[in-house]
Amino acid sequence: MTETEKKVRKTSFTKALNDALDLGMDRFPEMFLIGEDIGEMGGDFGVTKKLWAKYGGERVRDTPLSEAAIIGTCVGAAMVGMRPVAEIMFADFLGECYDQIVNNAAKVHYMFDGQFTAPLVIRTACGGGFGGGPHHSQSVEGWFMNVPGIVIVAPSNPTDAKGLLLASIESEDPVLFLEHKALYRVRAEVPDGYYTTPLGQAAVAREGSDVTVVATMRMVPMALAAAEQAAADGISVEVVDLRTIRPYDAETMLGSVSRTGRAVVANEAPRIGGLGAELSARIHEECFSDLLGPVVRVDGLDAPIPFSVPLEHVILPDETDISAAIRTAMEKS
Amino acid sequence: MDKTTMLGLYRDMWMIRAFEQGLEREFEQGNVPGMLHTGLGQEATQAALADQLLATDCFFPDHRCHGINALAQQRHSGDGERIMAELFGKATGVCSGKGGSLHSADPAVGNFGDNAVEGSYMATVLGVALASKLRGEPNVACAIIGDGTVGRGEFHESLNMAAIWQLPVLYACVNNGYAISMPVGQGHASADIVDLARGYGFPCEQVDGNDIVECHEKIGVAIAHIRAGHGPYFVELKTWRWQGIFAGEFRPDAEVKYWREDHDPILMTVDRLIGLGCTSAELDAIEQEARGVIDEWITFAKESPAPDLAKATANVYVNWEVTGA
Repeated sequence: MTETEKKVRKTSFTKALNDALDLGMDRFPEMFLIGEDIGEMGGDFGVTKKLWAKYGGERVRDTPLSEAAIIGTCVGAAMVGMRPVAEIMFADFLGECYDQIVNNAAKVHYMFDGQFTAPLVIRTACGGGFGGGPHHSQSVEGWFMNVPGIVIVAPSNPTDAKGLLLASIESEDPVLFLEHKALYRVRAEVPDGYYTTPLGQAAVAREGSDVTVVATMRMVPMALAAAEQAAADGISVEVVDLRTIRPYDAETMLGSVSRTGRAVVANEAPRIGGLGAELSARIHEECFSDLLGPVVRVDGLDAPIPFSVPLEHVILPDETDISAAIRTAMEKS
Repeated sequence: MDKTTMLGLYRDMWMIRAFEQGLEREFEQGNVPGMLHTGLGQEATQAALADQLLATDCFFPDHRCHGINALAQQRHSGDGERIMAELFGKATGVCSGKGGSLHSADPAVGNFGDNAVEGSYMATVLGVALASKLRGEPNVACAIIGDGTVGRGEFHESLNMAAIWQLPVLYACVNNGYAISMPVGQGHASADIVDLARGYGFPCEQVDGNDIVECHEKIGVAIAHIRAGHGPYFVELKTWRWQGIFAGEFRPDAEVKYWREDHDPILMTVDRLIGLGCTSAELDAIEQEARGVIDEWITFAKESPAPDLAKATANVYVNWEVTGA
């Protein structure tokens, strides 16, 4: 990326994704968009706005409520060299096409021993915090963590969102691209034009020396806010934004923890069997001798996400929980 | 149908039967890993399809499709033995032994591979068809499914999407009467699957799946319709599988006798060929030749090496290597 040469302007996460899709459609004739209400309506969250008018209904395809057929169409088309990008309106609906993702998208390259690839992207809106209720709020990365063959991308800011989506479109491997709903309206400086942000590489969002917070998506801005508060108390926090959840950048994460000697892993999904469990286990296995205390996990409580906003706050972690975890990490060492 | 075409199909049906009988024998001797679903009794459905699908078309075979896999491999690539080797889990198999019976594919011959989750490729076939349509290629994308698949949601999502987008999909539904142990009329709102497909508004045909002439003709009509750009076509091929369930034969004696003796696709074709002037000796020679070829394929499979162990973690991702612990 030659970001320094590009014009930079304040852009929302939604518009950054929209720009990436537009640039991808322009660059790759074999790319098409497919999903529910993504055409003239521009998608439930406006990510595909104006693309139907620009590229037409053949390449921006509205579908019935048929998630399995949407993803199946993507897999089949990708197997013959197309580059489909699907929108699944809410990540909670991925159960409807789970088989297509897990048994087809993730396995056609492997089980036919390299004769096919599945260069497709599944964009989906995930995460809670807005009273969406049990079926419009979930963080689903854990559903796919245990699936070899799939790439899981999880941006935390508009700049990365654009570069990571273009890298996902270029990827020869199938990508599940998670868009946290609470981030759609976040604005940041985003370079104009085409650029990619490499998949499988974490970013150090803030440098520090006392404790490492490894975070994803909405937990990253929360971790940065918690780090700012901790700084006032004299604690220097390093924030690692994982960016790609699978395959994740162990090197950056473990390198940071080795230096700081303390780790907090922050993820919105339920605790058991999730990303936090994997990261925590990995840190303990590989940084044991450098650790000054046990890894502290911040995650959702082990319950579904209720509709009522005060109840939802009980379930979902926030920056207060991260601040508390940072203090715990300091105290236990 | 002219005699030459019928003789070709007769040979193809014998290739399928000899393949499955040879495989069954090897399976019983413990030489074939995993599970075994054979296409015995359903040879006419597969021979009729294999004869008319081109290497540039695409087909998704079902669990009982070793035969069409082998015919396509032999016809378009000259190496049908690689399907046999795949079933033995060998390095010379079409997928280096990584797919096996339920995932044998070779895109060069139009074989896009089975999927052990019945009905899964009812969705996948849409994408292959859509790509053909967007590129303006006159290719057919064929999903060969059993009657059991009709119970899956993907069946209906697929027919609906193919209809609204007028996709070049051939649905070849091989209705063999049972989904493992469940009779088709008990598992579905109609024992005639074609009744369930008709609501989607594209042409649907029901065919005697053991009558090679009818199978060949009706599939030919469907393929011509699709290739001409007229959208999807559904063909229900009524047949019967020889294989019982794990515990053995579970179907009434009269039903078994009807399908195996009175309505067997190969015996029915023998009668027709004799009527066209062929001799028994001529027909026997075709059978023996097929059995000889299959024996050679089995020998090839048995003598082939096992895959290199590095294959176990190869091709998980295109862009990342997966290494052992």
